[in-house]
Amino acid sequence: MKKSWWQRTIISCAVMLMTTFAGLFVNKQVAHAEQTYTIGVVDTFAPFEIQNKQGTYTGKNPGIEPEMIRMIAKHEHFKYRYKIMSFNAILQALDSGQIDAGMGGMSVTDERKAKIDFSTSYYKDGIVMAVGKNSKITKMSQLKGKTVDVKSGAAGALYAESIKDKYGFKIKYFTTSNAMWNDVKSGNGAATFDDGPVLQYGIRNGMPLKIVTKQINATPIAIGFKKGQNKELQAKINDGIKWMQKTGRMQKLIDKYTKGSGTKTESSKDRTIFGLIKNNRKALLTGLWETIELTIIGSLCALAFGLVLGIMGIAEGKFWKGLSSTIIYIFRGIPMMVLAFFIYIGLPNLTGQKIPLFTAGVLTLMLDEGAYVGAIVRGGFEAVDVGQWEAARSLGLPYSKALVKVIAPQGLKIMVPSLVNQLIITLKDTSILSAIGVMELTQTGTVIIARNMEGFKMWLIIAVMYMIIITLLTWLSNYVQKRMEA
Amino acid sequence: MDKQYKVQVKDLHKSYGENEVLKGIDLAVKPSEVVCMIGPSGSGKSTFLRCLNRLEVPNSGHIYIDGYDIADSKTDINLVRQNIGMVFQHFNLFPNMSVIDNITLAPVELKKMSKEEAQEAALHYLDIVGLKEKANVNPRTLSGGQKQRVAIARALAMKPDVMLFDEPTSALDPEMVGDVLGVMQDLAKEGMTMIVVTHEMGFAKRVADRVVFFHDGKIREDGTPEQIFEHPQHPDTQNFLNKVLNV
Repeated sequence: MKKSWWQRTIISCAVMLMTTFAGLFVNKQVAHAEQTYTIGVVDTFAPFEIQNKQGTYTGKNPGIEPEMIRMIAKHEHFKYRYKIMSFNAILQALDSGQIDAGMGGMSVTDERKAKIDFSTSYYKDGIVMAVGKNSKITKMSQLKGKTVDVKSGAAGALYAESIKDKYGFKIKYFTTSNAMWNDVKSGNGAATFDDGPVLQYGIRNGMPLKIVTKQINATPIAIGFKKGQNKELQAKINDGIKWMQKTGRMQKLIDKYTKGSGTKTESSKDRTIFGLIKNNRKALLTGLWETIELTIIGSLCALAFGLVLGIMGIAEGKFWKGLSSTIIYIFRGIPMMVLAFFIYIGLPNLTGQKIPLFTAGVLTLMLDEGAYVGAIVRGGFEAVDVGQWEAARSLGLPYSKALVKVIAPQGLKIMVPSLVNQLIITLKDTSILSAIGVMELTQTGTVIIARNMEGFKMWLIIAVMYMIIITLLTWLSNYVQKRMEA
Repeated sequence: MDKQYKVQVKDLHKSYGENEVLKGIDLAVKPSEVVCMIGPSGSGKSTFLRCLNRLEVPNSGHIYIDGYDIADSKTDINLVRQNIGMVFQHFNLFPNMSVIDNITLAPVELKKMSKEEAQEAALHYLDIVGLKEKANVNPRTLSGGQKQRVAIARALAMKPDVMLFDEPTSALDPEMVGDVLGVMQDLAKEGMTMIVVTHEMGFAKRVADRVVFFHDGKIREDGTPEQIFEHPQHPDTQNFLNKVLNV
């Protein structure tokens, strides 16, 4: 059969969509890549990294490393931009070239040296073991058969892995210190191995743990670069570190964060629920707005993608039906977090092009939610009585006109409840994008909690914020459905 | 094809997998002729009718209407369908538009008629079927008989050469049947070429020029209403008529 005009339309739509997206990330990157370095930095990892309330490192006390980079950049005359992500994501992003440098109290290990070039080390950091405040454990020999919590990819994890057979304990992995410490606090984990300065910071800020060992395996801390690339930036930073050490600036900086004024956090009267809301109002609203933006743009893209998939799914030709089912099958079959990692960290490995975080988030939502929308659209169209097709076609209307004038209006009406439901699911799914570091509401919470350690109260505030938005959406959808039935 | 016929079917076959439902149909219909097709359910009469505008695609054979071979996949079927009106058992009005929009949709989209022109014509056809006052209501609010009359007006608005009726009164309450058959009888008087699948033997007797008896995927008997109803030749025909007429 000859390709009819609507088949050609679908092809050109798909091609346009793809080129638009390709253009989106290509253009944005090329324009800035020359003079500005992109540096990957972890979420708050005090005292090395301390995000301010807006989740950025622009404040007065951003932590040892951001403050050091700020001083070096000024001294060495270069510009930089931060990309905030988890520690594991930094290691992968370094490898894929998404970032020029990465930092997060990164230990220099032989394994990492194979893939990463390191700057001169500026600090030595050791692992300590900590247990709950009232725990009776004081020695590693008491860990037999128990669970030890570590942060995946961190030095504490590497150490725990090396001794786990000797002491016979099990390892549980976490992505944030706060979640890990709370696990130990509640008694799920018997102990944790973590960086000494980091744990001290947590304890000073009210985490009820105690350190029971001396610093073990003090390892050098340094900034990482992709192996063999960015020699220029590496040289500048090495130069800067040397300058800071020679002039005494480095010691002063480290003292500020380990002993001095750099680690002050909220006073106790700011730690009531209202105090926390008041203090973090701006950050929470910014996070909420990011969530809403992602939901709206992501849903619109998912709707467009889903419509194309749905229309392909009811096409006359076997090829289009098969293609639609295959695409839906693939994206419904991949967990959204895996898809997000694949797009943000995996794809640049393949194409050599960096993808902006927001674009990666929207693309993830479009593909994942779009697959569900595609199934909804196909189901909606198929639910329209076949007699409607026959009546429209027997009048002489071509397939496309029958679809647009007769089938689609009836099908869309059938779909509305499912589409609204999908919109609510999309809103909730945006929280998954916190895994790649998108500063939406959930990630904002993670960042705030890493600083103030108020896990329970902050998550309660955030849960209520989600519920308010979803309640409003549900009311809106009920209103729309009532209007449509009338 | 023969010029004297409006519709000419030659050796038409249609199977669903192993199951052959049309086993070689030959039929010729003259202009202005009204042909009623009767027969037991499953005999293939509806499938045959649906082949005539390619709602069903035949496996082999030829169907000539207005010089086009419907069975040939190269024929632009959308063009040919504009000249073949079809009325369904379940009306299939479009519930997402008003009665008059149901009627004007195809003329405006396909014949490039202006909206006003199409609406004027639509009111004319609604008048013919006696439903002018229902122009702006939603089809959902109509009774079955009214829906079917709107469906006839919708088909007529394309000014077709041939009208196909697929059991047009089977889904109606008995008191509605008369209205619809009346409209069809008027159409026949106007000289419309009509092919009607029906169980209304009275209508077939009264209105048809020819009655065709289907049985087991074949045409068993083909003749005037008198021949078929008064003097059926084939035992299958006699058997069928005994069942339906002596209830």
